[in-house]
Amino acid sequence: MRRLVFILALTFAISGSAQNKAVKSGEKFVYAASYNMSGLMTQLAQVTMETETVKTSKKTLLHLSCEATTYSKWDSFFKIRDLYEAYVDPTTLKPSLYKRDIYEGKYTKKEKYIFKNGTVESTMTKKNMAPTTKTFNVGTSQDAVSTIYLLRNVDFSKFKVGQIKTFTVIFDEKQTTVSAKYMGKETISAGNLGPKDCYKISIGASTKALKGTDKNIIWLTADNAKVPAKISFSIPVGTGQLILNNASGI
Amino acid sequence: MRKVLIVLAFIFAVIGIPFAILPLGTLGVLPAGLSLLFGLLAFFKSPTGHKNVPIWLMVLAGLLLAVIVVKAMIPDEVVKDTEFEQKKIESKQEDLKDLEELENL
Repeated sequence: MRRLVFILALTFAISGSAQNKAVKSGEKFVYAASYNMSGLMTQLAQVTMETETVKTSKKTLLHLSCEATTYSKWDSFFKIRDLYEAYVDPTTLKPSLYKRDIYEGKYTKKEKYIFKNGTVESTMTKKNMAPTTKTFNVGTSQDAVSTIYLLRNVDFSKFKVGQIKTFTVIFDEKQTTVSAKYMGKETISAGNLGPKDCYKISIGASTKALKGTDKNIIWLTADNAKVPAKISFSIPVGTGQLILNNASGI
Repeated sequence: MRKVLIVLAFIFAVIGIPFAILPLGTLGVLPAGLSLLFGLLAFFKSPTGHKNVPIWLMVLAGLLLAVIVVKAMIPDEVVKDTEFEQKKIESKQEDLKDLEELENL
């Protein structure tokens, strides 16, 4: 599931325009995550992506969250409760705080990244280990969650088939170069939104997390909201997909 | 031939058991269905008075199929995890403190 969420992040991630026009507060997207078992897609978990306005004493921020929860029938065998969160500027989507809380069976891990003036102060806590801290320069790189939302601000209507855009994502205290290739349009069933024309985008990364060429694909609705309607992924341990079940607040 | 069919029905029934227990959807229909099929063939190949084993194998395969189908019909749901919900609330409170500190730097 860690790989799945990373791929989800990479899949969404792209350096878009500076002004956020697509992402609104109060959005909620619910996906069914399936994994290929002996040729049959088996539904394992529900992935929920939500946005919410949060106010501090001086600022108004957008809280972005991405949550993966196994269906109750799987909880007895392999329980997953993963939570990825980012607090970003609602206009630029630049992050102030990014958190990752992993609970997968017996594996647990917590990460916290505080962004200030082009640097990141990260804290990582693993099970039965003392927390470690690290400070590193990130330049204009974004965290995994906020870059997910940046993708929706990219104007793919101006892209030509085969056009590639590269960008960097911070994940596991490392910066990873990721490419997004526009592959044209397709009609995809988008849950309660019905069949939608979608931008088809292939994701590649300089990491072993992704496998194959044009095997990691995301379909974004070809409208102003650019809702991720479907994601298919191929990783070293297999293949799977995320299908949009319900989208609200767009 | 009868013995081969009985052995096959038994093997597929055994394979079908973990599929019926694990939440693997309709994947288990294949071994359970094959067990039922071989059990049925063994039943017809068995002489009168020797049909008990195929009957029991068919009953087992039928039960496995019923369990698999009923489980597959139950919709996928996420149960409300109060512990996880509480953790999220606490996490958010902690985040707000961090953000306030960050603004005051």
